[in-house]
Amino acid sequence: MPDAECEIRVNGKLCKVNIDPSTLLLDFLREKLGLTGPKRGCETGYCGCCTVLLDGKAIHSCSILALRAKEHEVLTIEGMESDGKLHPIQQAFLELNAAQCGYCSPGMIMSARALLDSNPAPTRSEVSRALAGNLCRCTGYLPIIDAVLHASQRTR
Amino acid sequence: MEDFSVIGKSMPLMDGVEKVTGEGIYGVDAQLPGMIHGRILRSPYAHAKILKIDTSEAEKFPGVYAVVSAKDMPDRRVGVSLKDEYIFAKEKVRYVGEAVAAVAAVDIETADEALQAIEVEYQELKPVFDAQEAMRDGAPIVHEDLGRYEQSSYQIRFMRPVAGSNVASHIKVRTGDIAKGFQEAAVTLENSFRCHRIHHCYMEPHAVLVDYKKDKTTIWTNGQRTFDIAVLIAGLFNVPVSKVRVINTKVGGGFGGKITARLEPVAMALSKKSRKPVKIVLTRQEEFSTFGGQHSAVVKIKSGATKDGRLTAVEMETVWDAGAYTDGGISVASLAGGAGAPGPYRVANLKIDSYLVYTTKPNPTALRGMGMQQIAWAVESQMDILAEKLGIDPVEFRLKNAFEEGDRSATGEILDSVSVKECIAKVAEALEWGKGPNLPNRGKAICTWHKFSAPGTTSSAVVKVNGDGSVILLTGATEIGQGSNTVLAQIVAEELGISVDDISVTSGDTDATPFDHGTFSSRVTHHTGNAVRSAALDAKRQILEIAAQMLQPMEVTPQALELKDDRVFVKRNPEIGFPFAEVALSSRVLYGTPILAKGSFRGRGSHLLDPETGQSDKPAASEWVYMAQGAEVEVDRETGEIKIVKLVGAYDAGKAINPLSVKGQLLGGMMMGVGLSLFEEMVYEDGRMVNPTFMDYLIPTAQEAPPMEAIIVEKPHPAGPYGAKGIGETSIVLIAPAIGNAFHAATGVRINDLPLLPHKVLKALEEAQTKTG
Repeated sequence: MPDAECEIRVNGKLCKVNIDPSTLLLDFLREKLGLTGPKRGCETGYCGCCTVLLDGKAIHSCSILALRAKEHEVLTIEGMESDGKLHPIQQAFLELNAAQCGYCSPGMIMSARALLDSNPAPTRSEVSRALAGNLCRCTGYLPIIDAVLHASQRTR
Repeated sequence: MEDFSVIGKSMPLMDGVEKVTGEGIYGVDAQLPGMIHGRILRSPYAHAKILKIDTSEAEKFPGVYAVVSAKDMPDRRVGVSLKDEYIFAKEKVRYVGEAVAAVAAVDIETADEALQAIEVEYQELKPVFDAQEAMRDGAPIVHEDLGRYEQSSYQIRFMRPVAGSNVASHIKVRTGDIAKGFQEAAVTLENSFRCHRIHHCYMEPHAVLVDYKKDKTTIWTNGQRTFDIAVLIAGLFNVPVSKVRVINTKVGGGFGGKITARLEPVAMALSKKSRKPVKIVLTRQEEFSTFGGQHSAVVKIKSGATKDGRLTAVEMETVWDAGAYTDGGISVASLAGGAGAPGPYRVANLKIDSYLVYTTKPNPTALRGMGMQQIAWAVESQMDILAEKLGIDPVEFRLKNAFEEGDRSATGEILDSVSVKECIAKVAEALEWGKGPNLPNRGKAICTWHKFSAPGTTSSAVVKVNGDGSVILLTGATEIGQGSNTVLAQIVAEELGISVDDISVTSGDTDATPFDHGTFSSRVTHHTGNAVRSAALDAKRQILEIAAQMLQPMEVTPQALELKDDRVFVKRNPEIGFPFAEVALSSRVLYGTPILAKGSFRGRGSHLLDPETGQSDKPAASEWVYMAQGAEVEVDRETGEIKIVKLVGAYDAGKAINPLSVKGQLLGGMMMGVGLSLFEEMVYEDGRMVNPTFMDYLIPTAQEAPPMEAIIVEKPHPAGPYGAKGIGETSIVLIAPAIGNAFHAATGVRINDLPLLPHKVLKALEEAQTKTG
């Protein structure tokens, strides 16, 4: 199949790109756009390291085709800062040691962002449910859950 | 109490911003112009002779740049302690998934297709999948040449292979008179326990990029032992170590799983042949089915105690499944299965046998805890069973036998900085031991243990002071997410009286940084920390000497000067002095002695224990770290689920240099212990792992995170920097026995075989009911 020409808004910037229809969104972001924040941690859509937002919803970018994002908006970890300042979720992750090796953090933070955008004052169990699709082996999750709750208080 | 300005203060990770912004470059992100991709052909058989490998078709494949197999490699075996393994299988394959050949091609898909074009002819041999079976007479022999294998230089001949068998090493510890010990006992109990194999599940897979050049090869890796990789590659490819530069990328978790370098030699061979940079990233399935996990073990234990609860004798026999190659297994068999096996208890009469046994399975490797969780599962379950039999409170029973300062370990070492009782006391208080109503189906337990750090390892460090007073720290220790760079920078900041923000750390680069044995065995804070402290003190001495010269003709000696708050000043007259930056600049432009400082440290102890008794005049570990762990659980008799009400652990960090990251490590280890105890398991059928995905191999998610509390105990270690000990591995160790004993307290039922899956719980409850009913 020939490459498809399309427009995708990534981190607020409109991109006009040619996409091989079989390309996964994760590979498109990493290889075509050089956005290496989203990571691959498995091949089965279970680890969540590749999580990005598609029109505000957290998705595993390794499990959908890049073409699905045509004429939609993608937000990756690289688009989280504004005016050179960390987003409150990023700031809380940093301060509460919610990122140890940091490999899951870009995906974890995006899942947290999707949650707080739709539910600015979640309960503890709502946070852990929203993050259940993102695996982490370093932190034991408690610092991550605390960081999301902390960020929610700061942004309210 | 010393007054510190930076040590002991919680600090976010120095490279935390890179992590929360996604800017950090990990192994999977590394790339070079012209880079091609390597993939590995793996054995479909657990045990087979290789009759023929024909790579000619694959070589002709469009897009393929290189194909390599054993014939392209030097005829040299490698191994962490015993050299029993080829990079590519030669003559024989010994597990499903063993590397047989590799292809480098323009992209991964092409490389995968080309792998299919490689023809390998095998002749199947009888496999052996169970370590105990492998010990029986007539079992298939995994390594016919076992008696002739070389031992590696670093681990100086402490493997004790039994030629003609599958026993890669037999470790013995003997003290006192075991028969007499059991005669003295009022109660003697014998039980057998099994601990299974879990995987590390670092989130970043192994990733390596090798750029071979005739003059100099550069390797980017997410491995944990940077210097070892350079030595391995240089040895294999017959070049001086100076012609191989190994650089750590950011490492997305290790937990021991990235200690052994298996991909680097493969990528090197491909890069050398193709003359292009070659990258290899493992898939998750390859991670699970061919790389690592911990050693499963069957532990038989017989122990005796007097009526008043004094342990008189312990006899243990542990069989570790080494898989096809020993890898780091010897430390597991020797330190966990031997020196540390009886736990932190005074036992006068010991007879311990620990066998590391080959099977035709993918070999496990070092995993956080290094065998201690397998042993502690047995011993700490046994302690509760004994206490019950004796009618003594299990905490009191442990306290009665617990190590104290000056006691002798199983190998004869006189122990110092012992904190078993302090740790137990903290947990007993937090868990409200002995208090509170006894709710139905609820139970509590408290366990204790000790963890070693490998003996006799070395670290060194360099501190460079820039002209503006900022400082570069060079360390060979690898930052794998545990926060070592931050802790090491804190040490420099403390000694030089400057802010951590003015320090930058370069770690894990064999050309740029000084030697370090690397990141394993919870060793970095203690060992590298000492080296860094000594380098910082050397820098301080140099700075004070310069400042004394700058103060001439006042005739101030360097000893009369102090370094604090970014200033160098006269102790007795703090007004007189200079900004730190001014001294730093003067060292360069006025005195011609830019500040370049170094330090080094070697940890205590030796691996060389007496082969018959395990006794030694040297410590078996560089440090022993003590801990206690409590659990409260609630058992659902309908579903068989063990619900964790609370986990509380107390861990002796000696001195927590960065309490925030100490707690982070402790909580992470506890959570890994929860997975180990309740549901994680690498399941094998005919030597093949049948659940090699995150769909089938479940690790805890945020929803499984129970309430956990990590308490830091600080009993300074005499050899540690500021007293610090390494705690990175401690907290995984006791979760299983704490949960298992709490489960027993809740139900009166015991399961000796981990993990405590709901179906086992239901079966055990049912059996107990039938028995009593």
